[in-house]
Order: sequence, then C-alpha cells, then structure tokens
Amino acid sequence: MRDFHGLIFAYNANPELRELVSVRTAASLPFCGRYRLIDLALSSMRNAGILDVGVIMQRDYQSLLDHIGSGKAWDMSRRSGGLRMLPPFGLPEYHTGNYYGTIEALNSVAAYVRDIPQNHIVLLLGNMCANVDLTAVMRQHIRSGADITAVCADHTPAGEHHRFVVGEDGFVKNMLLYRKGDGEGLPTLEGYIIHKDILLDLMDRCKAQRLNNFHRDALPMFFAEGGKMDVYVHHGYAQIICTVEDYYRANMDMLCSDKRRQIFPADRPVRTKVHEEVSSYYGENAVSHRSLVADDCIIRGELENCIVFPGARIEAGAKIKNSILMRGCQVGENAQLENIIADKHCSFSAGSRLTGSEKLPMVVPKNSQI
Amino acid sequence: MKKKCIAMLLAGGQGSRLYALTQNEAKPNVPFGGKYRIIDFPLSNCANSGIDTVGVLTQYRPRQLNSYIGNGQPWDLDSADGGVFILPPYQSAGEKGSWFSGTANAIYQNIGFIENYDPENVLILSGDHIYKMDYAKMLREHIEKDAACTIAVLQVSMEEATRFGIMNVGEDGYVCEFEEKPKQPKSDLASMGIYIFNWEKLRAYLTADEQDPNSSKDFGKNIIPNMLAAGEKLWPYRFDGYWRDVGTITSLWDANMDMLSPTLINLYDPEWPIGARSPVCPPHFTGENAEIIHSIVTEGCEVDGHVENSVLSTAAVVKTGAKVIYSVLMPGAVVEEGAVVEYAIIGEDTVIHSGAHVGMPPDGTDAWGVATCGPNVEIRSGAQVPAGAMIYTGEEV
Repeated sequence: MRDFHGLIFAYNANPELRELVSVRTAASLPFCGRYRLIDLALSSMRNAGILDVGVIMQRDYQSLLDHIGSGKAWDMSRRSGGLRMLPPFGLPEYHTGNYYGTIEALNSVAAYVRDIPQNHIVLLLGNMCANVDLTAVMRQHIRSGADITAVCADHTPAGEHHRFVVGEDGFVKNMLLYRKGDGEGLPTLEGYIIHKDILLDLMDRCKAQRLNNFHRDALPMFFAEGGKMDVYVHHGYAQIICTVEDYYRANMDMLCSDKRRQIFPADRPVRTKVHEEVSSYYGENAVSHRSLVADDCIIRGELENCIVFPGARIEAGAKIKNSILMRGCQVGENAQLENIIADKHCSFSAGSRLTGSEKLPMVVPKNSQI
Repeated sequence: MKKKCIAMLLAGGQGSRLYALTQNEAKPNVPFGGKYRIIDFPLSNCANSGIDTVGVLTQYRPRQLNSYIGNGQPWDLDSADGGVFILPPYQSAGEKGSWFSGTANAIYQNIGFIENYDPENVLILSGDHIYKMDYAKMLREHIEKDAACTIAVLQVSMEEATRFGIMNVGEDGYVCEFEEKPKQPKSDLASMGIYIFNWEKLRAYLTADEQDPNSSKDFGKNIIPNMLAAGEKLWPYRFDGYWRDVGTITSLWDANMDMLSPTLINLYDPEWPIGARSPVCPPHFTGENAEIIHSIVTEGCEVDGHVENSVLSTAAVVKTGAKVIYSVLMPGAVVEEGAVVEYAIIGEDTVIHSGAHVGMPPDGTDAWGVATCGPNVEIRSGAQVPAGAMIYTGEEV
C-alpha cells in the first residue's frame, strides 16, 4: 500500500462535547477503558499498511501529542515517512479562530499536502468510532476506478450526517446534506480515498472563493464536473462522536460483546500507547457485572455497567452504575455513582452520592474532588 | 564506552523442574503474575536501577525468549549506547564452538562482549527469581566496602538454610566461609544468586577456572570458593524484601498466589514499575454472572464464571458456570462452561472443555500437589485431571 497516504482530522472539539473537550480535542477523548478515539483511525491505517500519516491539529492538542508521541505504537515512527503531527502553518489570510471546515484545515497545511509523495490520500476523522478495513476500501477504490471512494455506514448513526445516493452505474448520483435519522442513500462516515491532484484542485478552488467545507462546498464542485464517487459500505459498529450523548453511548455500547468484537476484531487489533503493566485486583467483597475494567485498578466495591480506566481505586461498599471512570479515579467507601462520566483523576469521598440522568449523564470535570 | 556496571543475566537454564511449562520454552519466559514473564523482574530491576546495558545469556529453547526481549523497549532498555543483547553460545574461527558448560563458563565465553563496555563492575543475575531490588544500592555498598565481589543475601530460617548456599560472616562483616546446602548451617544468610564483581578480578578468576579440568565452571561451586580461598574481600549485601525462587511447580504456584497480597510485593508502585511486553488488548470484561473474589485479572480476559484466589493472565477466559479456584491461568487459557479448575496451573492457550475437572484441594497427604497443564493442551469434556498431575503438550486427556 505504498501509494496511499493517510490524513486524520484531529482539530475538532464540538461544543456539544462540553466539559469533555475543555482539556482536549474530540480525537483524544478516552475510549473503552484504555484507548483514545484517534486510536481507531490510526489503527485502521496501520492495519492496512498505511504508515505515512499526517494528523491535522489546531488547538488544545497537548493531550493528543502526549498520547501519540512518535507514533511508535502504530509502527509509524519511521526513518523515512511515518507519522507527522500537523499544527497550523501557512494559514489562509482570511482565517479567524477555529477551522470552519475540513477544506480550511487542509489548506492550513497545504504545503504538507502538496509534498505528499503518494498518489492517493485516505482521509479519516479522528473522532470516528469505527474499525474500518481500509485494505478492502483501497482495493475497491483501485478496482472501481473512481475519483473518490466514500466510506459509509450500513446503518444510520445518531445525529446530523450527510448521505450519498448511489445511481444505477454504481456511482454516487446525489448527495443529501445535513440529514437526521433514516432516509434515502447511505450515511457517510466522512472517510474518503481521494486522488491527491483532485484534492489539491478542490482545496485551491475553495481557497480562492473563501470556502471552507468539504461536503457543502468542495463536493458539489466535484459532482458538478462529473466526478465519479464510489461508495464502500462499512459493516460493523460505526458512530462519529460529536456530543456527550454520542460519547456515553459509544462507550456503553462496548459492554455488548457483539459490538465490542466489531470494534476490536482479532485480525485488525486496535493499538494504543501502553502505560502501566500490572493486572487489576478484586477484593473479598468486590462485585463486577457487565463491566469493562482496565489494568492497574483495585476494586473492592461494586460495578455494574461500567467502563473503568486504569488506576481506579474503588473502595469497599462503593456502588457504581452505568458510569465511565477515566484514568486515576478514586471512589471512597460507600460512595454511590450513577450515570456519571468522571474525567481523569476525579476523587469521590466516602459516602458521597452523585446521579446523572440516563439520557444526559453528568460530566464531572478533570481533577474534581467531590 | 566505559561503564560503571553492566549486567549479565543467566537465562540459559532448562528449568527442568517446571516440566511441561518449560517443555518448549526457557524458564525465564514462563508467564508470571498476570502480566509478566519471569525475566521481566530482573530486566525491570536493571532499568529502574539505572543499569542500561544487559547481556542475556540464552541457550535452552531461546526462540520465544528472543522475540519477547526484542530490542528491550518495554523496559526502556533500548538506549543508544547500551541496551539489551541476546548472547547465545557461538562458534569462533577455527574452533568447534561449544555450549555454555556452567554459569561461570557462560560469562567466560562472553568476555569479549563485556570488554566492549570496559566496565568497572559486572552484575550477575539469574532469570528465575521474583523480586524488586535496587542494584544501585548494592553497587554503592560494593564500592564502599572495596569488595572483589558482593553477594546479595537473604535472611532465612535455619531449617530453610539447608536448601541454600549459606554465607558465614566474620567479625569484620565480610564473608569468611561459603557452604553449599549445609547440613548444619552456621548462619542464616542465604545467597540469592545475585553477584556484583569487580570486573578485572572476575576476569582473572574466570580465566584461571577455565584451566581447571575438575571445575564445574559454576559461580557458587567454583568462583566464589576460589575467591574466598585466595583471600579476596567478599561482602554480603543484605536484602530484606520479597524474593522467591520459582524453579519448581509448587514455588511457581506459591509465588503467583503471593501476587494477590500487595503487602508481600507491591506491583502497583509507580516508583518501581515492572515492565512487560504484552499485546494491546481491550480491558477485561466481566459478564452478568461473573463472581471475582480476591483475584487478579488482566486485560483481554473475559469472565462470566466464578474466580476465587486466582491469577488470570492476559486474555484468559472463564465461561459461564466455570470455576477457577486457587489457580493460575496463563495467557489465552480458556475454561469452558461448567469446568472446574482448582489448585492448578493452566498453560498458555490451553483449553479446559466443559465439565472437565482439573486439580483438587489439598487432602493432607504427601501425594497431593498442584495440577499442571502445559501450553496448548486440550482437556476434553468431562475429563478428570487429578491433583499433582502433569499434562504435557501433545498429550491427550
């Protein structure tokens, strides 16, 4: 797969992710007990042999830099090529504040894109929660001879999305922007394989017209000129994480064995930065039902429907239900937590009680002491 | 590049008293304590003690051990001017080449490697002990006492002393006598098989020992007694932490059970991390029916049965209705529905099919022992594996 280059969009921090993105971008949201969301995009590329990858960032990227490091965990620390973290450089003169869209983000690293030695570029979102078999996507892209191949889901994800309607010739005939719920066509996971020259051309034309958005601005130009887009249907779990509810649901979905196996198939492992190397310990009166518990935890209390990241210390008598505890959380004796997303290093004193609603879990910000 | 101290880790022994567990791999590579392999302990101790150059002497079935150690990255031993090096026996020009014939001979054959680093001191370690130890402290004492050799010693009971190499200490605090497994021990200081030698002195004694046709080329039997006889200064470095030899099935099982008690050895100490090379697996999953009591569970495990006083290594599976009691499941071991495993060690990727029963609780008789299944064994549905049994890879049960 020497002729494919990866680009991952990791600049997003949708405001609907609230406190969760006050210290990070969506791509570096902790996921499923030990991962970050971007591990899925990086691992999808790694497992397809794409080792030359640029990660487009904009702000609040310290946690992302810390997590990705040299890219070694994904075999992307290479003597030639490999992983590049791309903060903005050569910003367009009209740029103000956050990137308005992926085209603007691409234009802010246009010099990098221009120097990509490969012909095909694989675009993925850093906040995509799916393990995509990119080998199959690349194969289909070459076979169909399309200019662009879009990765679509086989089911409608939650929230706003764009859909592609495929015509009789097998190529996309119509694009439906900003849809919600089921409808005609296939919902895109906003993963694309695109020829470098076509992408650069769209970037240049958008820049000239001060347009920023890939779907709203660039793709209509592409279709208007008769561009051929093929659609690859990804079978398996897929969700783009844009809101607290998306985040909570995607984590909780991992408690379902079938969905978990779709994200963590044996033949396409998800890689991540390795921290500690010690198993978790369960005490005499510990209870753990329908939960995912990472290493380096000491559990003396009760867990039910929980995702527990490393370093948790759950004291005796504590009861935790339907909750996510990120790295290093401490829960004191007889504390009760329900429908909580506790960010890193929160501590809950003995006997404390905290309950969020099932629909809208309570987010407890990093380092909180309750 | 001159180094103050480099380490040489003896990892070539067959570990024959682990039987099925070392049928196809070297003892240092045997899984231990959930996340680890035995060799992780000395390697991590080296890294944590600031020793950045480690030669690992391999001989018996080194394939998995070689790939496990790799470039040393999991222990932060992948440095530019040091690192971890696998040192197998080799053939020199015009010579026949030979296996390492003893612990001392193994070091003798690698004098060239050691000289590369021109070290002042050489730390000799073995790959079959579980402990956390700051070798830097031992090295400081070695230098302070101007010793030719410093031997780490552990205080044991007088009954146990008959099983160890025992150091008798003179009034000045230096070792005055060394007795291998004495019937009537005069002291309770047991050698832990960890030595720091002044390299120039060690080289001289190794070279001389090679010329002795009657020598068994062993540190404990030859080099140490020879140094003592010649009046060299040997200093006992007293260690009072947790230390276990895991050379037998019983001691391996015991030491695994010790991992359940952080008061014995704290593996959760961020100041002294024990590194390991492990595949990245999702967190372990506990199902609707899981019951886990006083046990350790590792990433990748799936538990929907009853687990009590046990150690579950990476990706072990305990299915609904299965029971695992006072046992060690090595990586990838599977206990199917309704199977019972008690007082047993189950090797890597071994499957205990539904309804089978492996091991028995102690019955007070001498015949009782921990039941052991080697790696990649299949225990068929409904089979009974008695206490103390040893099931080898390839055997049908």
